[in-house]
Formats: sequence, structure tokens, C-alpha cells
Amino acid sequence: MKPAPFDYHRPEDLQSALSLLGTHTDASIIAGGQSLVPMMNYRLAQPEHLIDINRLSELDYIREDGDQITIGALARHDAIHASELIAEHMPLISHAYEWIAHKAVRNRGTLCGNLCHADPASEMPAIIQVLEATLILARNGSSREVPAKEFFVGTYDTVCEEDEMLVELRIPKPTAGTGWGFEEVSMRKGDFAWAAVVCLLRVENGRLDDVRVAVSGAAEIALRLPDLEVALAGQAPSSDIFENAATKAVDALAPVGSATVSADYKRDLVRALLPRVLSAATARAS
Amino acid sequence: MNTTAIELEVNGRKHSANVPPRKLLSDFIRQDLALPGTHVGCEHGVCGACTILMDGKAVRACLMFAVQADGASLTTVEGLSKAEELHPIQHAFWEEHGLQCGFCTPGMLAAAHELLSENTDPTDEEIREAISGNLCRCTGYEYIIDAIRTAAKKLRVTQASDASQNA
Amino acid sequence: MSSHLKSNVIPPSRQREKPRAGMTWIGQSMKRVEDPRILVGKGGYVDDVVVPGMAHAAMVSSPHAHARIVSIDTSKAKNLPGVIGVYTGADLATVVDPCPSFASPPVTQHAMCMDKTRHVGEVVAAVVAEDRYIAEDAAALVEVEYEILTANVDIEASLEATGDAVLHPDDRESNRALDESFSFGSVEDDFAGADKVIKRRLRWNRSSAQAIETCGVVAEYDAFKGGYTIHANTNFYNFIPFVIGGSLRVSPGELRLIPVLTGGSFGSKVFIHKIIILTAGLARLSGVPVKYIEDRLEHFTNSDSHGSDRLYDCELAVMNDGTFKSMRFTVLDDYGAYLQFGVGTHGNAMAQVTGPYRIESFAMRVIAVLTNKCQQGPYRGFGSEVTNWVMERMADAAAEELDRDPVDLREQNMIQPDEFPYMITTGNIYDSGNFQEVLAQAKTLFDLEGWKRKAAAARADGRCVGVGVATCMERSVYGPTEWWFLNKKEEPGFTLTSTPEGISARFDPSGKLFVTLNSCMVGTSPETVVTQVLAERLTVAPEDIVFNYADSQTGFNGVGPQGSRFTAMVTGACVTASIRLEEKLKRFGAHMLQRRPEDVELRGGMVAVKDGLEDQAKSFAEIALMSSFFRLSFPDEEAFDSGLETTAVYDHPISAEPHPDREHLGIFYPIVGHICHITAVEVDPETGKVEILDYAAVHDNGTIVNPRTLGGQVWGGTANGIGTTLTEHFIYDEDGQFTNPNFAEFALPSAHEMPKNLKLGHVETPSPYTEYGIKGGGEGGRLGAPSALTTAIEDALREKGVKISALPVTPPVLRGLIRNADAAAAAAD
Repeated sequence: MKPAPFDYHRPEDLQSALSLLGTHTDASIIAGGQSLVPMMNYRLAQPEHLIDINRLSELDYIREDGDQITIGALARHDAIHASELIAEHMPLISHAYEWIAHKAVRNRGTLCGNLCHADPASEMPAIIQVLEATLILARNGSSREVPAKEFFVGTYDTVCEEDEMLVELRIPKPTAGTGWGFEEVSMRKGDFAWAAVVCLLRVENGRLDDVRVAVSGAAEIALRLPDLEVALAGQAPSSDIFENAATKAVDALAPVGSATVSADYKRDLVRALLPRVLSAATARAS
Repeated sequence: MNTTAIELEVNGRKHSANVPPRKLLSDFIRQDLALPGTHVGCEHGVCGACTILMDGKAVRACLMFAVQADGASLTTVEGLSKAEELHPIQHAFWEEHGLQCGFCTPGMLAAAHELLSENTDPTDEEIREAISGNLCRCTGYEYIIDAIRTAAKKLRVTQASDASQNA
Repeated sequence: MSSHLKSNVIPPSRQREKPRAGMTWIGQSMKRVEDPRILVGKGGYVDDVVVPGMAHAAMVSSPHAHARIVSIDTSKAKNLPGVIGVYTGADLATVVDPCPSFASPPVTQHAMCMDKTRHVGEVVAAVVAEDRYIAEDAAALVEVEYEILTANVDIEASLEATGDAVLHPDDRESNRALDESFSFGSVEDDFAGADKVIKRRLRWNRSSAQAIETCGVVAEYDAFKGGYTIHANTNFYNFIPFVIGGSLRVSPGELRLIPVLTGGSFGSKVFIHKIIILTAGLARLSGVPVKYIEDRLEHFTNSDSHGSDRLYDCELAVMNDGTFKSMRFTVLDDYGAYLQFGVGTHGNAMAQVTGPYRIESFAMRVIAVLTNKCQQGPYRGFGSEVTNWVMERMADAAAEELDRDPVDLREQNMIQPDEFPYMITTGNIYDSGNFQEVLAQAKTLFDLEGWKRKAAAARADGRCVGVGVATCMERSVYGPTEWWFLNKKEEPGFTLTSTPEGISARFDPSGKLFVTLNSCMVGTSPETVVTQVLAERLTVAPEDIVFNYADSQTGFNGVGPQGSRFTAMVTGACVTASIRLEEKLKRFGAHMLQRRPEDVELRGGMVAVKDGLEDQAKSFAEIALMSSFFRLSFPDEEAFDSGLETTAVYDHPISAEPHPDREHLGIFYPIVGHICHITAVEVDPETGKVEILDYAAVHDNGTIVNPRTLGGQVWGGTANGIGTTLTEHFIYDEDGQFTNPNFAEFALPSAHEMPKNLKLGHVETPSPYTEYGIKGGGEGGRLGAPSALTTAIEDALREKGVKISALPVTPPVLRGLIRNADAAAAAAD
């Protein structure tokens, strides 16, 4: 189980990295490598060129920028997990990291790399969708902004083109008083999710407002549940409302099963976790 | 075959080498540096047997290429013990029967080392979390947890006595 | 005693050292002798072996479960720079013969496929190259054309397969490799006279040990200098290397198997003959030393160590008062594509198939089924882990149908302390025990009554909390008749009856005691056990004992760590060695003290005059020096020949052959421990997740040599059992593709999955047959945990009426059972 050969490039700055990316076809960026290297070891991924961005210290940041937090491509999971800035403004992320992989993997892996890998069972693609983050994709000479909900297009597939690189994630700070919820079921703590459900919401005058719910693990990509969000908006929170909403939401889902985990089971999980997440978020909202 | 020149420090000793880019760090440590204490169990980043310390942080050596360790300072299990003495964490594993076949042990020690360098008095739950990325098939983890708890105590005592000597 | 057992005579005990209180070393939680070198990374595992000029092998593995090999084109691979050679099965067959098989008649297995591939992962071609990376590059260039055949995946369907779907048409007409029936005692009468017959269909699905280290080999061949030199992490290197030599076409004099520290076995590395033969053959073909270490994928798909995979139709005959009368079952076992150990795993189960209960008769039909999966091998329990679970499932089923408390019903049927040695209906004996005391201690340790109240209160609150109790046997110290006595009587195969264990020991002139072991270290504690026993018996200081391991040519009888035998067996060898060394020490020492040997004794590392003054003693070092270098100071008699050394072999302490007509199976696994596991669990009915709230285990493994290492075995085995029950499951699709052969999807428990408050208790009922009364304790956790957990989960879901008849109950499986139960309840409303 050894990787196939590749040409190795180690740019010292972003501009060089983007030039390399523009020059070489069949190139992969490696940051943490925690998803890419296993696939290379299995030879499921055999890039001809590997562009190592670990020297791009300019991308290693977690910053407050007005009403948003910006996270650079080289910010490691562990740094984000430990970040007081994140804990203060986005406790959902800090909490979710308790469920994401293990320390040695978080030490090395990056959030942006995780998003680009686009594993449908990964938690963060759902989380950045409820946070309505924006992803900055750069190529040699230009860049563009992509909303989180448009970034993921399929299993292991995103809108990021071959010559593009995700350089920054911009996450708007949720309004003060926003409640959050996170629930996951996996075989072991730290494994990829069989299903993870995340939610942000506010409670205004006893009514739900700005409800955002997303699910990982239950489809080919992590996805928001807009019908559920609309149905809940303006409702007075109650367990009955949550249960009914969950039932309806699950009916609309078409989970993708596997040999180990059936579609029925995934549907059951989403059905079970939705009310828990909504209740938790409601309890945290003020 | 193309190779890339790297320089790195391993267990306090400087090394220079030319390595093929695809050579995994775990293989480089075991084969090129002849340090067999870093074990390879799965090569897909789950078992944790190959966990080492890179600049003090636990990392999977099977999920890095040796070229990526250029400029880094690594500590493998061979670098924990000093001269002819076991490191206090190693000693605690010995006392508490924290190993059976020993294959996962170097990775466990690295995980424990990182934990105890960040948290001198971890709860059992924190110990569990710290080693949850390291699979052991022999022990059921019970005595590993005992060992890390004991190691924390030993290290606190050492630190306290160092502090009182310095005062 | 039933008349069929009359001819099964229990031999007299050969025990020399009686169990006694207050021993100095036996019974202490001594730190392990083995650990320091392992802790600093210098253990010396197989992948640490480097020999000059060594090349590396990579395999071309079959992507199909069942296919005919039409053609193999190795030309591109051979042309890759760095490649030394590329070989097919036909090439390999020029230097090696088929693998050994203990099945009778054998099922032919080649180390590399010849004409057909019979499971995913089977080796179709091999590359030897300068390094593993290049070898894998070349393996990817080998082009193989296959003609796909019908894959046999389902255990029952495979029995009906015909034509091209038959795996081994040259050896067997169908995929039914063996189909034998046995009956012990008056089964028909007991069933006819029963008040009730409890019936259950029970399924135990496939998983495997998956030690963190895979299997590996470093092999060299030199036709002019000794033949093969092989390093491998096999546990069997000193017992039957000649059968490997047979496949390699060399005599044992041309085969040197060198042991290495093994990174976990749990049975899975007992033999590993296939990759030894494969790698050795590649070394001979290529002319260079070859290293082959299985990667994790290869270990999952091709390591010949998959665990039991069985379907039971079981019946228990009971009386209305709760008495268990008789049991019978038909079992189908999916052995995979080959049958290396025959149905030895079912032979093993005959040691304790009726559990701790008085069940006077028993019958079985065993059908070994061949399918297109990697073949089975040993895994902690060697088949008895399944029958323990079956017995306990049947006990629970009886309790349910008789409306009895399951623990009370168990207690009612238990063998009483005054009935030992107790001969069970298959012929095996239970040497000693006190099951009632074990149960009582476990109940107290766990606070069973308290937990029952807590669980009931939680269930009243709508939570799914339950308690499970398992009372199981832990047979130890195996005799090898289990491997063959279930074969056809007319052609039982190689009817082995020996399982010796030996050591050699010598005091060097400085007084250090050098001990050579003939069995390897696999995570067990061979050096520590031997240290404790020799220190006890000879009063030598533990730090004065030095170890090394013999290889297959310098060593002698050593079967190794398997069947929970090593501690008891090597202790026997240590006692024999000690008796001989004591005699020599006394002879020389008494002469030096100018006393008669009968007037001196061993005391504190010295030969001392009985009741003598302190200065009337000679240290072992003084005696060793004199006996080694000062021959003229002693009488000119053979008894005073130089040196203090001995070799000692210990044979099985008590065994007897099976009846020629299999009326009984003889005595083959008689050193029997008892275990009680109790657990409380909570099930999340919406997700199927199980949380273990509390866990207690009480084990009776006779006299304990080292409480801490025994505890390590108990919890390690329990972790294996938790995995087997809750998280580990090999899943095949209809084409025979193994869908989850990796550590991400085949989930070994992590520290998070283990219970957080393990409680361990011991009862010590010594064996009357082994030295000091020691029993083995290497498998108990996995022999008890599945039963206790299954019962607890079923108890937690009792209001929903969920019944568990198959393991594992992973969350998706358990949720499916709950969903079905909910649907059935809704339909009934």
C-alpha cells in the first residue's frame, strides 16, 4: 500500500502555488493530507503533481474581520478547535470538533482541505452551510467567491476547478443570541458520520426565526433542508413541531445507502437527530 | 528516480537525506534512519501505530511524505528515553501493564506525551479522548489509561521537585 | 455417569507442586520482564528484520471472488526498472508444493493461485523488486484476464452449488466439505421425555482478530549453505516447521525458522504457513532475500485468519421445573475457500459445549461449507466463543419460555462444587470449579440487585436500560485431538496427540540463570511467567534470569501461545527443570559444604544447610563457578560432570484419546476456568447505539501467577468481545466483494467504546492436575462478553419485544430490529 510516483512542488508563497497550479494538469494540492494521503496510499488517487502548500504561512490564520471570521487555507483543525475567537463567535464549530477525527489528524489536517475533499460524511461541509460561509477560490490572476451552498456538487466533487485553490473561508458571525445544535451518529466517536445534523436558529418573541439546518452523511453531498427551515420559521418551538417537521423532512430525503449502512438507517438517524438538534438550538438561543 | 534533498532533526540529531517524494515519512524513519520503533499498522491513518511527535505535536507518520518533514524536529519512541533511563511515561506503562504486544505502544506514548505536555492533570475522559485515535487490540485500554494517569502524577511530582529546587 | 462415558477413564494427576498460600513470586503483579526493550522501540518485530541484499515483494491480488485465470501478462511489469522478477502460480509451483492442510481429506491450497482464484485478495502473481514502492508499481502493470465464475457468498446457498460454482471439483464434489453427526448419551430419550423443547436459530457472523501488526516474512534461500533461513511472526515455528518444509521441498535441516516478537496474534498468527511458503518460494525463484509484509488490505482479504461464521439450529430440552435435560443442534459453518485446520474449531467447542450446566446428553451435526471468502483461522476462542454464546442464548430463551429469572435458572442447572472432576457428556472433563462462588462474587461486585432496580426504573421512564448476566466456561490447555476427532472415523487424518512445551536452563559460571524458550512472545508474558515460576521454585532472584528464544533448529518441543495453554504448560516445564537443577545444585553445594545432599535445601539463592547457620551456605554463583571451572574439586563421577544445565519438556497434564467410534471424544481440554460477566447497557432506540453503563467480570483461572497480566488478558479479551458484539462485521456483497476491509469501516473498539468503570474480580479454584493449580486465562473476555452484552441489550429492549438471534448487533442492525419490532407492534394495534 504505497503511493504511485509524482512530481513534488513546494512553493514558498501563494503566487507561486497558483502559478504551478495553472501550469500543471493533474495536480493536487496537499495541505494536511489526512484525506489525500490515504487515497494515494491505496492508489485511489494518483496525481502526477503534488503541490505542497505547507510553506504558505501567509495562509495560516484565523482572523476577525469586522462581522466575519476569516480562516486561511493552512489553518489546521486543531488551531480552529482551540481558537478563542471561534469559541466566542461560533461555538458550533468548536463543539463539532469534539466529534471530528482525532488529535493527531486534527493537528495536521486543515479545514479548507477537508472542505475541498468534499466527503459527504464529513461534518464541516454541513456546518459551513448553516453558517452561510463564503469560499474564496483563487487561480493565477483572478479569484472568485462561492457561497457554501453552491460549493459542493457531488461526492468528492466541488466547483473548484483544476487550476483553482480554496484560499480562504469567510464566515459571517451569527447574530448574537443565535442558538446552535449538533448531533452525530457514527460507529465510533471520531469516525465519519453516518449522519450528522447541524442547526442554527434564533427565537424572536417566542417564535423561531432564521432557522438553518443541514445534514451530512445522508446524501451524496452535505445539504441544507430549506423546506424544513421555511416550515419552522415563525413557529413557536415545541417538541411536537420539531417531531412533525422531522418526519416531513425525512420523507423528502433520498439518502444513499451502502453495504454497511442502509438508506433506511440513515433516514432513521436524520429523523432521530433533527428534533434533538432543534431542541438543543432552541434551548441555547436567547 | 527523482529525489528531493531534506534536512531535519530526529531525536535531537540532525539528518540530511535525498528522498523520493513519494516516500512515506514512516518508511523514511524506519528504513532510512533505521529507527524501527515507529510502527506501521494500517497505512490509512486510522490505527495510530505510526504516531510520532513533530515539533511537539502528534502526527501520523504514514500520512506524511518524508519531504514534508524538511526542516522539522521529530521525536520518535527512540527519542523519549534518556541515556539508560525510561521516560516517566514509558516507566508508567511498565508499572501499570500498559502494553502487551507493544505494537501500538510507540504511538500511544506519542499521544500521551502530547496530552501531558498540554495538560498536566488530565481527567480519565481527557485521557480517553487523547488516545482514541490509537487502536490497541491487546489491552482493552484500561491499563493504558491507568498508565497515563500514573505518568501524569509522576511528571507533576518531578515538576514540583524541579520547581522547589529552582526556588 | 452415562454409560457411554464408562470407557473414558481419567488418568491420575501428575501434579508435583501443590498450590499453597504465601508464595513469594507466584501471585505477585510483577512488572513484565519483556517490557523495557519494547517500550523503547527495540522489540524486534518481523518488519524490523533487515538482511543484506534484501528485496521486497508486492502481490497482484484477485479482484474477483471466483474466477478462472485465462491469462497473465507480466511483460510490462518485468521491464520496469528496479524489478528483479515477476512470478505466477505456475512459476512458484516449480519450487514449492501445495500448502499443508489438516483437513481430511485435504482441500488443496496453493500459496499462489494456479488456475482459479477463489476469493477476493487471493494472490495471482507476485513481484520482487528493489523496494516495496517499485514492487507495487510493477504489480499494477501485471495484466490478468479472468473468466468470472459464480461466487458463493451465502452459507446455505453454497451447499446447493453445482458445476462451475463448486470451489474444489478435484477434491470435493460439492461445497459441502464435511458433514458429520455425533451423539453423546441418550439424546432421543431425553428429548422425548422433556416437558418443553426450546428452539432457536442463531447466527454468528464473520469478523477477525486484526492484530495491529499484520503478518510478515523475511526469507532467504541458499542451496549451498543451509537452505532456507526465514524470519516470520508465526506462533508455530518450533512445533511443526517440518510441514512447511514439506511444502518447500526441504528437510528440517534445510529450514531455519527464526522467531520474532509478534505484534499481537489472538490466534491469527498461529500458523501463517501460506505467506511463509509464498515468500520463501519467491526468495528461491529470485535468488535474493525477500521481505513480504502484508499491508492491511492484504491482511483483511488474504491472511487465512477469519473468525467463525456459523448458523445454528439449536434445541434445548427442558423440564417444567427448569432442569436442562439435553441439547442438540445442526451447525453450518462458512469456512471460506479452504479448510486449513479442518473443523478443529468445532472440535474445540466440544470441550465445553454444555457450559457450566448439567446437561446429560448432546448431539450435533456439523457441516463445513466452502464459500468464496478468505478461509477461517483461529481467533481467540477458536470456536468456543460461539458455542458459549449459543448456550447462553438458549439459557435465556429457556428462562423466557419457562417464565423464570435467567440467573436463577442458570444457578439451578449449574454443576455443584462437590462434583469435580466433572465429565461432561462429550467426554471432556472440567477439572475443578466453584461456579456458584464466581456468580456470587460477580453479583456483589456489580451490585446486580441495585442495577436491576435502576434498570427497571429507567425503563419505567421510557429509557431502554437492561442488565445481562453470562456464566461461561473458559477451557484452557488444549489437547490436539480436537483438530481431528470430528473428521470421518475412517479417515481422521493426522491423529496428533502431543502438545509439549519445553525450556532449557543453565546457570552460567557467574550464577546467572540463562533460559531458552521454545515459543515466541505475542503479547503474552512468557519471560515473566518463567521468571516468576523459576524464582519461586529455585529461590533465584528474578533479575538473575536471562532469556533468549530458540529457533526451529536450536530449539525443541514448544507448541507456543495458543489455546490458553502457555502459562500452565511452561510452568510444568519450569518445574521439571527446577527439580533437575535443584538436584544438581544440592549435589555440588552439599559437596562444597561437606554435607549430604539430603541435609541441604535451597534458600534465598543459596544451597544452605537445613536449620543451619547462615555461613553454612553457598550461593548459586559460587556453586556455578566451582561446577564450571574446578572439576578436580569434585569426585570423579559422572554426576559431577561440569556445569549446571538441563532441558525439560512437559507434556499435557491430563488427556485421553477419543473413543474409536466417537461414543465420546476423550479428555482434551480439561483445565477449565469459569467466568461470569455482568453488564448494564442503555440502547438509544432511535439510533441503535448501545452505551455500556457498567461492567463487571469475575474469572476463576485457578492459581494466579500474575494478577495484573491476567487482568490485562481479561480486559483485552473483553474488548475483543465488545467489538465482536457491537462494532465488527465483515460485509460481503452478492458478488463476493468484501466491502469493508479497512480500519475505517471495520471498527475495532477505541478507548471511547470501552466501558468506563470496569470491575474485575477473581476466584482461585486450583486445578488438581497442573503445577501449582494454574489454569489458562487468555481467552475468557471474548468467551463471556458477547453473551452478557446480548442479554443486556435484549433486556433493555424487552418492552419492544426485540429478540437478538444474530451477532454482531451494530447500530444499523439493532436499529433495524427495533424498527421491525415497532412496525409489528403498530400492526398489532
